Amino acid sequence: MKKFIDILIKLGSVDRRYIFVLVGLSVLIPLIWPINIPIRATQQSQNVFNAIEGLAPNSKVLVSFEYGPSTKPEIHPMSLALLRQLFENGLKVYATALWPDGLFMSADAFGTMESEYDLEYGVDYVNLGFRPGNEAVVKGIAADIPTLYTTDTRGIQITAIPMMKGIHDVKDFDFVFSLSAGYPGTKEWVQYACDPHNVPMSTGCTSIQVTEVIPYVEHGQVKGILAGMPGAAEYEKLVNHPGLATGMMAAQSFAHLVIVAFIIFGNITYFVQRKRDQKK
Amino acid sequence: MMKRQIPLLIVIVVGLITLFGHFFSNQGIQNFVDNDSTQWYDIIASFAIFLGALNLLKLQLMKIYKKQNNWQYSILAVLGFFFALFAGFLYRGAYTVSLSGVAVENHQEVAGIIATGTHNNVALITAGLEGNDDYTIPMVFMTEGGAEALGEDLSSYGATVISPVQWGAHLTVKLGNSGSLFWWIFNYIFTPLSATMFALLAFFVASASYRAFRIRNFEATLLLSAGIILMLGRVPVGQMISPWFVGFIFILAMGAVIAPMVKNKFITVSIVVAGIAILTVWGVLTGWDSTRPAIFYFPVLQEWIFNVPTTAGARAIMIGIGLGIVGTSFRIIIGLERSFLGEK
Repeated sequence: MKKFIDILIKLGSVDRRYIFVLVGLSVLIPLIWPINIPIRATQQSQNVFNAIEGLAPNSKVLVSFEYGPSTKPEIHPMSLALLRQLFENGLKVYATALWPDGLFMSADAFGTMESEYDLEYGVDYVNLGFRPGNEAVVKGIAADIPTLYTTDTRGIQITAIPMMKGIHDVKDFDFVFSLSAGYPGTKEWVQYACDPHNVPMSTGCTSIQVTEVIPYVEHGQVKGILAGMPGAAEYEKLVNHPGLATGMMAAQSFAHLVIVAFIIFGNITYFVQRKRDQKK
Repeated sequence: MMKRQIPLLIVIVVGLITLFGHFFSNQGIQNFVDNDSTQWYDIIASFAIFLGALNLLKLQLMKIYKKQNNWQYSILAVLGFFFALFAGFLYRGAYTVSLSGVAVENHQEVAGIIATGTHNNVALITAGLEGNDDYTIPMVFMTEGGAEALGEDLSSYGATVISPVQWGAHLTVKLGNSGSLFWWIFNYIFTPLSATMFALLAFFVASASYRAFRIRNFEATLLLSAGIILMLGRVPVGQMISPWFVGFIFILAMGAVIAPMVKNKFITVSIVVAGIAILTVWGVLTGWDSTRPAIFYFPVLQEWIFNVPTTAGARAIMIGIGLGIVGTSFRIIIGLERSFLGEK
């Protein structure tokens, strides 16, 4: 027994590199050999889906890309699933970016959509691109879009784009969707544009950001929330198009299980060690 | 005077106008608050990016000049800076080739040439040629020479036009799996570096939670329990863990908690056995429902944690921050807070 406890205590002070290896394997193995894990959509994801489904065809939806390569695995699958739903429902998509990287993310997402759907630029969607200024840009969109954006990402004059006719400020949109990984993001859209002008909005954000957005969701200022990669996987399921996030759910599940196992094991060794110290 | 009083005056005047704009129904003030001030901000922010870039360059060059710690990395930073500047402002690096008037009998041959020149699928190119009389080859050429070379190969089959992509649009232009030089930098340098840095977090979180999440006291236990529930409840595998199993674990854990407090072991064992018996009977009667009892079901528990304690805590923090902003803004407007002028 003493020998077993000695081994346990020794394992308790295991070098963190072993932990790194096990976490790495727990992510890598399910990615190499995919495992199909059933996904259940949470009420919040369902609320987002219902809000979009409730929009009439040709409704105008402003989608803001506020993420970059570091958070791409979490948010980009949401973007693709969302855009699929928007285009399949015949909605008009207007894209902006509050982050400079967001411009590339939106270009990438629209590139994918163009290969899947028969879309015409300027009629089905328009990409207004990035403007610096954080919340001031959101406030600018809330007040006067043609002043803020004179050209789009392709260098086309806004006035020459058919679907920009009649678009003056945020009130001209039927829905706003923020794909957000931090500041500026969802919070700024609620505070400076959607809540003051009563425009319904929803969000897809990183797991870490949920804490700061959830009060707005609970109050109904944000219609549901797609929370991190699980939220993306749930949305892929809801739009009936399993993609990257669904494939990565097994990896995330196993990584979480490994971390939980380490926490439990760490506590067992902690108690064993403490009991031994008390005896001494 | 110029360095302190005038900036202070600008801040006070603009601050007061912006503040009173929300209380007075005056068209001029409203227009300033809603439109002019935000445009000013946009213009200043654009200049700030320029200043920030210059500052970054200055700091890195100083580091190299003074040979400070790890100055070698600054060489990479400076080179990267100029490379991005070159690709963004000086070198467009994005040309497209379009082809028209190709005879139907030549489609297959032309598709073969394009596919070889652009590393694309022949069938895809053939379909594109058949669908469009004016066909844009699905590749962005980084050099005009590259575009011209393919254009010359195809010139005997139809009319070829080489067009540079517009400045600005060249940043994100993408056709097939190719794009401009700037697009290449973003996709093949910035994206993997950025993703790698973020991915490292998973390893540090795992190591940190292993060492920090210890049941030392009541607060630490709460943190640990909430952490475990969220980690399991947020992922699909948490949905597969039976709430009955969690319930039995909970009863055993409660037994372990009360054991040191109750001297008579018989009482402790009786409580645990009774708990297990009640849960078993409940399970048998309800047919071992896979999502009930909800109190032991991870997804429901994590939703409750997000919806109730997290919302309450986040709201408290937000109200605190809001009050702090009001206080600080007021101090700035009345000229008490001058740290933005460089004063301590």
